[in-house]
This record gives sequence, C-alpha cells and structure tokens, in this order.
Amino acid sequence: MKRSGLVLLVASSLLFSAAARAVVRPHYGGTLRVATAAAPASLDPVDLNQSGSLAARNLSYLIFDTLVTLDDQGRPRPALAASWQPEPGNQRWRFTLRRGVSFQDGTPCTADRVAASLRVANPGWKVFASEDSVVIERDSPSLDLPAELASARNGIAKRDGSALSGTGPFAVTAWAPAKKLTLAAYNDCWRGRPFVDSIEVAMGQGYREQMLALDLGKADVIEIAPEQARRAAAGGRRVESSSPTELMALVFAHDPQSPAEEHWREALAFSIDRGSLNNVLLQGGGEPAGGLLPNWMTGYAFLFPASADLAKARQVRGDSRQSSAWTLSYDPGDPVARMVAERTALNAHDAGLSLQLTSSAVADVRLVRVPIISLDSRIALAALAAAIGLTPPPFVGGSEQDLYSAESALLQSHRVIPLLHLRASCGAGGAVRNWSQGPDGTWRLDEVWQGPEKP
Amino acid sequence: MNRIGQRAVYNPRINLVLIFLLRFLRAAGFLLLAALVFHEPTAMAADWTAPEAQLAAKIVAATGPGAVTLDITNHSSLSRTDLGEITRGLRNQLTASGLQFVNPDQAAASVQISLSEDLQNYVWVAEIHQGANQFSVVMISTPRSGALPAAREASGVIIHQSPIWSQSERILDVAIIDGVPAHMIVLDGNQVTLYKQQGTHWQPEQSLPVTRARAWPRDLRGRLVLRKDHLFDAYLPGVFCRSTAAAPLSLNCFASDDPWPLGMGSFSLNAFYTSGRNYFTGALSPGVGAQTSVPAFYSAAPLPRDKYTLWIFAAVDGQVHLLDGVTDQKAGKLDWGSDIASVNTGCGLGWDVLATGNSDGPGDSVRVFELADREPVAVSQLLEFQGRITALWTDANGNSAITISHNVATGDYEAIRLSFACGQ
Repeated sequence: MKRSGLVLLVASSLLFSAAARAVVRPHYGGTLRVATAAAPASLDPVDLNQSGSLAARNLSYLIFDTLVTLDDQGRPRPALAASWQPEPGNQRWRFTLRRGVSFQDGTPCTADRVAASLRVANPGWKVFASEDSVVIERDSPSLDLPAELASARNGIAKRDGSALSGTGPFAVTAWAPAKKLTLAAYNDCWRGRPFVDSIEVAMGQGYREQMLALDLGKADVIEIAPEQARRAAAGGRRVESSSPTELMALVFAHDPQSPAEEHWREALAFSIDRGSLNNVLLQGGGEPAGGLLPNWMTGYAFLFPASADLAKARQVRGDSRQSSAWTLSYDPGDPVARMVAERTALNAHDAGLSLQLTSSAVADVRLVRVPIISLDSRIALAALAAAIGLTPPPFVGGSEQDLYSAESALLQSHRVIPLLHLRASCGAGGAVRNWSQGPDGTWRLDEVWQGPEKP
Repeated sequence: MNRIGQRAVYNPRINLVLIFLLRFLRAAGFLLLAALVFHEPTAMAADWTAPEAQLAAKIVAATGPGAVTLDITNHSSLSRTDLGEITRGLRNQLTASGLQFVNPDQAAASVQISLSEDLQNYVWVAEIHQGANQFSVVMISTPRSGALPAAREASGVIIHQSPIWSQSERILDVAIIDGVPAHMIVLDGNQVTLYKQQGTHWQPEQSLPVTRARAWPRDLRGRLVLRKDHLFDAYLPGVFCRSTAAAPLSLNCFASDDPWPLGMGSFSLNAFYTSGRNYFTGALSPGVGAQTSVPAFYSAAPLPRDKYTLWIFAAVDGQVHLLDGVTDQKAGKLDWGSDIASVNTGCGLGWDVLATGNSDGPGDSVRVFELADREPVAVSQLLEFQGRITALWTDANGNSAITISHNVATGDYEAIRLSFACGQ
C-alpha cells in the first residue's frame, strides 16, 4: 500500500483555518437578550387568543409545557403526557402523565393540577384527574384533540393568585407587563436544563429599534419584519425565515347581502395583484395566497387562484355597479398594512369597484393579519376561521380531500379574500449557536447556546 | 421504533485529490471521470402502485371511461426518476380503467394531475374539467419517507458505514454482541433495550428501565461498556447502571459520581463526568502516567505507542490536548469538533483518530486522522451525516466505532457502525 503518498496527498487538502476553535457540543451559561415587537400584558397561556402573536406564543413555550407537542411534520409527540388513548368514538381521551415532573416552584405536576389548568383554558370541556392520568371529554368526536392540546394556550400552568408557574425550561424571575421579562434556566426541567442561564426579553420594541440593538450587540435575537428580511440579510446579518406562516387577508364584516354583492366580492378577489404586493411592497417576504392555509401545509393551495385576472374580474362584476363604496380598515400602526390597503384599493378601482380607506374600527372590510397557530392543518384552519369571525368548518373525515372541502366552503362564503402568506423572520447575533426555527416560526430558545462571537 | 437496515452501505469511489484526478483523466478519459465525480447516489426504489391505483380510481369515478387529455406536473420534491415512474404508472392504471388519451379536440374531459406535498405526505391532486362548466377536484395522499444519507469515498482509509438502528428517542450508545444469533443493546435516557437478530431484523427481547432521581441534563450523553462477569454497565450523568449476567436480565441503577471508562480493553483510564452538564471535569483516574488532570473535555481517544499510550483530549474550550504521561502538548489549530474516538483501522500505524467536524451547519461529518508524529494528518475523506453527531464511541473490539446522529430530515436518531479498510 502506498500509504505515505496518500497521506501526503490528503494532507494537502486539509484546511487549517486560523479561526477554527469552534466546538460543536453545546456550552452552558450566559444570558440571551431577546427583543420583540409584541408586548403581551399577561404571561398566562389562557390569555393567548387565537390571533395572538407568534412572539407571545414563543415566550409561552419557554415557561409552560403542553401535554402534547407537534414535531416539524405536524405529528403529535409526547410532552407532559407520556401517552394517550381515545375511547371508542374519539369523544373521551385519556392522557397518561409523565412521571417525576415538577413545576418551577418545586411542587409536583399532578393530574389534579393539569386538569385544573386545562379547565381554565377550556371551560366547555369536561376535564378530570384519574390517578396518573387526565381524562378529557368533549361534546363531539375530537380526532384532533392531541394536536389541539399542543397549542400554546393549552400550556399547563399552576396558578396561585397572580403567581404563575410552569414546567417549561425557564422560570420567570422578573416581569414588567408589556415591557420586560427575565427568565432563569430551570435546573430540574424534565427535558433537561437549557443551555443558557437566563433570557432577558425586551418587549414592545419597534423593528428599527431591534435591528439597531442587534447591530450594536445589545440584543442577541430580534424579530425582523417580513418586508425587511431580504435587506437585513443583504446587509450581512444572520437572518432566519420560516415558511409562510401568517395570513394577510381582506375580511368582510357581513355575509353578502345579494347575488350581485357576491359577484363584486369575487371580482375584487380576481382584481388584486398579489404578486406585486409580495414582490414590491413586501420585498418577497411572503407568498401570494389564494387559500387560507399555505401550500406547504396542505399540498393543494395552488388550486385556489392567486394571480390577478382583471378581465375576469370585470366579467364577474358584470354590468351591475356597487350601490356604495366599501370602507376598508387596516391597522394604522402597521406601515405595510397601509401600503397593501392602498394598493388593493387601486386594484379594485381598475376592476370598477370602489374601496375607501378608513382608520375607523367599523368598516365593511378589514385588512387583517392572522398567524397560523398550529402545524396541524385542521387545527390551523379552524383557528384561522375563528380568528376572522367565521364558523369553524365541520370536518367530515381526516383526509386531504376533506380538508380541501372544508377550506373551499370557507372561501365560498365570500367573507374572506386571502392576499398573502407572510414569513416570520428573525435575526441572531454572532454568538448565538444552534439557533433554529420550526417551519411555523416557533423559536427553540431552550436549545440555543452561546459561543465565541463570530464575525 | 424503526429499523433502518442491516445491509452495509459502502462508499462510492470518488477521488477528489487533484493529482489523482489528473491521472484518472489520462487513464480513463473524461467520461469515466465525469461518471465518477458526478455520480448520483442510487435512490431507493419506491413502490408507487397503491397511490397510483387510488388516484386513478378516483379520476375514473369522476370522468367515467372515455377519451381524455392528461397532463402531469411535479410540484413536489419527487425526483425525475420517480416522476417518470409515476407518470408511467398512472397512465397504465388509467388506461386499464377505461380511459383513452387523445388530443384536446377529441377529448370529453381534461385531467390535470399535480404531484404536490404537505408536511407529512405526497399529495396528488387531479383537476378534472368536463364540458364547459363541470369542474371537480380529487386527491389522494401517500406518506413521504426519508432517504438514507449518502456516503462519500475515502482514500488512505476507507470508511464503511452500516446503519444499525434508528428511533425517535435520543440514542446514547449502542453495543453489538457478536454471536449466533447476534444481540444488540441500545441505551437511551429512559431504558436499555436488548434485541436479538432474527434474519435481517432486530427483535426486541427485553427493556430495562433506567431509574433516576433527577432530570437529565440537556445534550444527554451515556456510555455502554460490555463486561465479562456480567453483560454490561451503563454510565449516565450522575447515574450508574449494572446489568445481571444472564437472561432474563435485570438492571440496577443508582446515583453515582464514579468515573466513566474512557478507553476500551487494555486502555484503562477513567474520567469524572459533570452530572448536570455534557462534559468531563478533567479529573482522571488513575491518570495518564503522572498526569491526573486535564482541562475539562468532551471526549478522549487513546493511541498506543511502543512504550506508552498517547491520550488525546478534545477540551471544552476547543483546544486539543495530547498527553503522554509526562507532557501536555496542545495540538495546532484543528477543524475538529467535540467528539473524537480512536479506532484500529489496521492501516499505517494501526491506530488512528476518528474526529467529528466543527461546522455550524445542520449536518456533521467524521474523518480519520493519523498521528504519526504529533500533528494530525487526515487519511480519509469526510464522511457526511444529515444531522448532528450526538455520540461517537469506539466499539468494544476497537476496530470500529458507533456514531449516533440526529437526522434532520426524519427527526430520528440513527446509530451507524463505522468500519475501516485501507485504500489502495
């Protein structure tokens, strides 16, 4: 064997980088500084409503565990519940709890406490403790109950007056509502002590402020507005973006009052140039949306038309003219929403329709942004419907075809016109290691550790 | 739990060294070289018959038998090979169900099939237009499966990888007991599971819970050591478990700060593990010669020399230390990760070091290094993994190593046995 020659040859290909002192096993210690635009006034999971911000949900997951968690494919996985079993009919479920779990205040996480927490979050459910299990009984068959229990608002909390304790990887050490949150690593967390010692969260920070804090080394993790993500990355920052995970849509306040109004709404949907909204106004920060759920969740969203078709818009509108202009409201504090609303009104005008922008809360049409709260497509669709004021769809079966039928029915109500699906983006400093987001934008701060600053 | 196969996966030969390539060019010609360099790993053949039949049945239920146009487009991660196979399969199924494919002007219906996907499944959607206004949509889904990571070729030392086991629970260590039948022991944070080989499968025989009083640290590590007077010991942070000798086995676990064995066989060195963290404290027992401590470290590898054993430590601060019983020498700047192990490759000096890489990306790698002097020299190509290597331990025989990696595509932990051959 010509070993020595081969050794020399391979040796010549070795890279001896001057900066190569990194190690890949996680380091313990340090404080992670996080900035968010969200400013929740409460940490109680039950206060997370269905349109609650992604950041608020991410913070909740740091403190509170759920019985079940969803993996990146949206499949239920054990968390505080080690296993679960439905009774025939899927109306009554038994969740067997993981043993040896304690709240951050040291008290054991018993079935009684879990049941009490779930009753607060879901007053309509029958929840009771049974030895080391929690039994949940619903009014109707509930195939998706494990996935539903994975949502942040079903986080298990021990409530002692105003004091809250969870079983998650971090415990609250200081809390100034809507301003600042300080968390400390929970050493006895059943999933293992997190790597960083503490997390400091500055809330209610504007996106510009956050970017400045990251650039100055005053923040380690920040949120980045979808329309700024591309520019932030081009500026050499470390930017991570999720799959499109927030729906921007026009929502009508009422059902159509006449067949003609149905046609006008349909015409409006065809008139909107979603491609330009995404490429120009949002700088590619999302995707044009014809459906409520994005294609990566369903695989069929391309069936719902998302491209502008002015000729068809005019054809659908027909000869009838609107009796009066629709008023369109948007969040005045959201500059992107204002631009999208203005562009939508222009598109509508081209189709012979009239949209009048208003800052009033009462309007015919609202421009809304609704986060997708679950990786389970059925839960996500039901929550989206509820958040925009539609009756959640009844699912006939569990197939993709059934999901498609349910979503089609929601769209055929002519109450909602999807515009875009937006990505959740964030920036991380050079010392942040093992940073990752779930496909729905979920942060995994408990897995983050801090290493030497990288240029 | 999933078995990922017992069939050894051998590395396709791709030589990346320039001089070697030039010789190859002269000797074998450009076409052969291109075939080697741009060789695509062979994909595992999938059976699409069932979803093809399912979708075809739904389409025909909507159209009835007759003349249609058919168009199939791929919006998913399916490969071109799969697309071709599925296209053929769907056409055959539809033809067998009574559809004829004709030009648009002769068609009673048009069928547009889109091969899409969601988080878990391939979603195949057929849009069916009949007449001027009749439109329907049918769809089916079929689970997506992950693919095995591609292996790469080595030169001085060739690394062979044999997938042993995969499961969703984090695997800490795996030990194979050769024999007829062979047995396998899998250690995770909750239990030790004993398997017996039956043909090409591992059949679970017994599960023994690992009892503990406290929560495990994150980045949990553990080690299995086969013994002669009983079957095995398991070392976990702050916990020691000892099995009995004969079946049915029992496992006695108790809180312990006893040091973990670092070497195997004749390399007797133990080190104390920090129970709430993921590294060794640096205190050694009995020590390397007169040296009884090193900086805190993640892993260690012994290399036997004529008159002593050279111990290599991958320290927590990223530095690599070489201890020979007298001196503590820091190696130059290396691109090593935190996990190293020594293996008797039988090539060159016999014993080499297997080291993980230090990239920040989602994947990981291992590579064999020879330490003829004190300077590590790479003697194999990188073997890449589809996720982080969470454990790297030398096998009991010293000739192979066990890697545990967390596959980012499947989410599972995969145990792979690495064995070695000398390059030509």
